[in-house]
Amino acid sequence: MDPETEFRRLYQAHRSAVHAYFTGRTGDRDLAADLMQETFTRVWRHLDRLAGMGADGERAWIFTIARNLSVDHARQARTRSAALRSLASQPARAPRLPSTQVIESDRVAAVGKAISELPEAQRVTLTMAAAGQMTSAEIGAALGVPAGTVRYRLSQARTTLAAALGRYDEQDQ
Amino acid sequence: MNIDDDLSAWAAVTRLSPAEAEAIFQQVITPAPQLNARWWRDFSAGLAATMVASTRQQRWAA
Repeated sequence: MDPETEFRRLYQAHRSAVHAYFTGRTGDRDLAADLMQETFTRVWRHLDRLAGMGADGERAWIFTIARNLSVDHARQARTRSAALRSLASQPARAPRLPSTQVIESDRVAAVGKAISELPEAQRVTLTMAAAGQMTSAEIGAALGVPAGTVRYRLSQARTTLAAALGRYDEQDQ
Repeated sequence: MNIDDDLSAWAAVTRLSPAEAEAIFQQVITPAPQLNARWWRDFSAGLAATMVASTRQQRWAA
């Protein structure tokens, strides 16, 4: 298999999961797309390292790159925020959330808002399950946590989300 | 609407479209433009010469 064909296979297999991971981390689908592009640029440059890896090894390696990028991005964002605060003497703006960018439906916007307010670990896990269509075992392997922890976080997230949407429905009536 | 339907509707607008995903794929595999080799060689030579010259002036002044 030539490198481009091999890379396309990897990209198709993992792009949704990687994008969902960054969407969960940043709350911004466009920023998540940028970080996904950077992740796969690094995968493309070091494609030879994947030789002989199974599907689990591939996912683990790709998510190691993604997690490192996420840490770098968070660090840079904190530095930028501090610099902007000192320059403008104003609080830094929160990152844009999916609900404010692309979602037109009020109901879907309410879902996005409720997800954005979840604790980060729950938000990332739920986003990977819902938008990345990953199983608990796959999410656990990608994040380096046991599948049981993933299932617990998903359960907590869904309970919180259901309560938030219940309040939304009451206000809507 | 149950929570699974809510999550599916939200996920549908959050995911990248096939066109967006393909555009990103093409950007990744397209090589970035390289600096002109001759320009880079001339720039490096000029920078080195400037650094050497500035070091000599400092020694002379001291």
